Amino acid sequence: MSLELVGVKKSFDGVRAVDGVDLSVVKGELFVLLGPSGCGKTTLLRAIAGIYGIDSGSVVLNGRDLTRTPMHRRNMAMVFQSFALFPHLSAFDNVAFGLKSRRVGGDEIDKRVNEALALVRLEMLAARYPNQLSGGQQQRVALARALAVHPDLLLLDEPLSNLDARLRDEMRVEIRELQRRLGITTLLVTHDIGEAFAMSDRMAVMREGKIVQIGRGADIYHFPANRFVANFVGPINEFPLTKVEQVSGRVLGLAAGELKVWLPAETADHSVETEPRLILRPENLRVAVTEGSTDNSFMAEIEDVVFRGGATECRLRIGALKLFAILPSADAAALRAGDRVTVGWNAADGVVTGAR
Amino acid sequence: MLGSSFSADTSGSRARSALAIFVAPLVFLMAVGFVWPLIQAFVNSFHLNTSHGIDLEHWTINNYLRLADPLYLEILLRTLRISAAVTAITAVLAYPIALFIARLSPRAQSWMILAYVSPWLVNTVVKALGWTLLLRTNGVVNTLLLQLGIVDTPLRLLLTETGVVIALVPGHFMFALLPLWTAICALDPALSWAAGTLGATPSAVFWRIVLPLTLPALIAGLVINFIMNMTAFAIPMLLGGVRNMVVSMLAYQLDLISLDWPLGGALAVTLLAFTLALVWAGQRIAVLGIAGRAAKI
Amino acid sequence: MILAFNIVMLVVVLAPVVLVVWISFTPTASFVLPLSELSLRWYREALSYPGFVDAFFLSVEVAAIASLITVAATFLAAYGLVRYSPKAAPALMGFFTAPLLVPAVVFGIAMLQFVNRIGLYNRLLGLVLAHAVLVIPFAIRSLASTLRGVPEELEWAAMILGCSRIRMMLRVTLPLCARGLVTASLFCFLLSFSEVTTTIFMSGPSLQTLPVRIYNYMSDRIDPTVAAVSALVVFISLALVLALNMLGAFRRTGSRLYP
Repeated sequence: MSLELVGVKKSFDGVRAVDGVDLSVVKGELFVLLGPSGCGKTTLLRAIAGIYGIDSGSVVLNGRDLTRTPMHRRNMAMVFQSFALFPHLSAFDNVAFGLKSRRVGGDEIDKRVNEALALVRLEMLAARYPNQLSGGQQQRVALARALAVHPDLLLLDEPLSNLDARLRDEMRVEIRELQRRLGITTLLVTHDIGEAFAMSDRMAVMREGKIVQIGRGADIYHFPANRFVANFVGPINEFPLTKVEQVSGRVLGLAAGELKVWLPAETADHSVETEPRLILRPENLRVAVTEGSTDNSFMAEIEDVVFRGGATECRLRIGALKLFAILPSADAAALRAGDRVTVGWNAADGVVTGAR
Repeated sequence: MLGSSFSADTSGSRARSALAIFVAPLVFLMAVGFVWPLIQAFVNSFHLNTSHGIDLEHWTINNYLRLADPLYLEILLRTLRISAAVTAITAVLAYPIALFIARLSPRAQSWMILAYVSPWLVNTVVKALGWTLLLRTNGVVNTLLLQLGIVDTPLRLLLTETGVVIALVPGHFMFALLPLWTAICALDPALSWAAGTLGATPSAVFWRIVLPLTLPALIAGLVINFIMNMTAFAIPMLLGGVRNMVVSMLAYQLDLISLDWPLGGALAVTLLAFTLALVWAGQRIAVLGIAGRAAKI
Repeated sequence: MILAFNIVMLVVVLAPVVLVVWISFTPTASFVLPLSELSLRWYREALSYPGFVDAFFLSVEVAAIASLITVAATFLAAYGLVRYSPKAAPALMGFFTAPLLVPAVVFGIAMLQFVNRIGLYNRLLGLVLAHAVLVIPFAIRSLASTLRGVPEELEWAAMILGCSRIRMMLRVTLPLCARGLVTASLFCFLLSFSEVTTTIFMSGPSLQTLPVRIYNYMSDRIDPTVAAVSALVVFISLALVLALNMLGAFRRTGSRLYP
């Protein structure tokens, strides 16, 4: 079951919540919609489910145009952030609900409900009511309820936000495994970057109702389309760039008006933005007492060393320019504030984007 | 020193005396103006009325036995009939109206609710006058019916039970509407969405999700509505007249005309007991709705 | 279609009141809907009828005194319950809202017998007492809610700075509750002003509040004069309702109004 969205738009009271979204989700993949709150990802999910009608555009699932189809006939299933378990029905009856709506026969219902509950390992608690279940258990019931109807598309709206941190990690893995095993095409909405990276086959970053980048997590992380995406998916160092020019086959620029830096080769390929910036991931910076072998290398003074468990954060100054690096703690063990060190990075590790 | 009772510490024994001082005036007011009169009436009902006043020497349950008089029972039956009719009509009207209001914009909602509540805040005598004018032989309703050709001769609505029922429905409607509307608004919209995405048609969503979860609130409201119907006075009196006597009018007769206070008191006590029993029963039914099933485990 | 049904229901609910007001402007001596000409003739009649005028002033007097007494006593009690949160708080709240469980008729009978017994029959104090008790449930909920809206930290801050609790209540709590107090008072006033059944039963012949006076008048005859005075009652009530609405008395926490 593949999902095609073309030009989807949805406004509320004049505010464009979803502003022209094109999207393709491949059969069997777990696709994540990632973005800050208010970016329209939840609205888009609800529009796909049919909870909201869209103002323009189309929603096509496996060749069927569902744009005008009411939500109870789309054969999708959704897990809500609040779980939305029916408080007056037992876990069993909750899971059976979609099957009853589809007029499935009594024996078949029993079979499929037990199947679904077994998938989430909750067979023992079938007779309990939602208010007698823990948060994690409720979420599993919500999942079982969605899976029991064998939907063409599974929609998950921030399914892990209401769980405590430990449970979240557990459920992340469980949901991912379940999804792989069953091969259900899945769309998941989250604002948590770690969740998005851990669970997605591909993801889309959304901002103000539009998709700004689609791709695999690693690609988005290493090759962000713009400054917003770069900053959203992980911490960055950034410097304004001027005087970008070609020098004997390589690209050179002036960072923050002070540093001559070698830039990635692609920078020359597309016209440089009006206000270019150089983006550096902290883990791509090499910090050492001795001279390094990277393309760019500068003398720096350590301002602060912050131990963070497996990794250590190093705050540095090159002249008046401030930046920070993240090193494995083993490598940073000897560094102290006030030390003079070399900080460097390879040209290919830098990213040049516009101001936004 | 009194002042030290009012320290910032709101627990402990000093605080208890401070609390007592704060609560005392209202408790006194309630005791004198509420508890004592009720107890008085209760006590009075166990004595006999004589031409020289209430005979406080002898105790008797005679008054209560006299209430079983067929004449009085007929009045009771009529009152029950009218109240049940009004409550039944209210029950049918409640959901369509509450659902409609709940789907309006918040501002429109508060104006609608205000519209339904405001008649209650205008006194019922004025409403009785309005209904009298509406339901008279040459009143607005009959004029409309005649003009539209729905009837040939004007309907006699005043001084009938029907007229009383018609007037009581909108008068007491808000007692059922408000709790139902509140419950509908409190429902997590995700529940309806979940049901919808799972394949339930909008109608199924109502019958299988919205109704079961909001019915307890409606039932509680209907109980109050029924009680208000049973104990209404001005409208049945002015619109139904003495030929359609209800319990409250009987009470008027006994207490202010016959001046048989023990009997009137007995009637009052019985009415109160009935009211409390209804409220209790309504609560049990409502609570049993959801919690009862969950308590199985 | 559902919309039409709802509109009809709304019309039905508002019709009696609207009709009374409309008809009060009729220029003729019979109940003809004034369609072309509006007249204040019957208002003049109503205002020159001493029975109505006296009753009006009595209603205002009773409502004002009853509201004052109740709001004062209830404010103190609510303060105690909200700040001191004793284990008995729910029970006390239940006790204070008990008048809602007693039908107006029953209470009227009980008060009738009671005020006679203690010699307050046909006396203002008896009537004020009954009205004061009737509005307590509404006052206590409203004021408890108001007080919960004043964070206790503000009071602690004041007391740390040297105020005794009493002074602090006067200088901090009371001003912060001003709006809630006005709302509660207006609401109690309105309820007392509109009170009919209990008053009919227990007030004496010379203590007729306006609704009771109208009731007695109507038992005799119905003429446009009574429509006019009723319309005046409607105007006053509506003005109070609108004032209360602006003060936010009917916000979405519907349970404030309703038992």
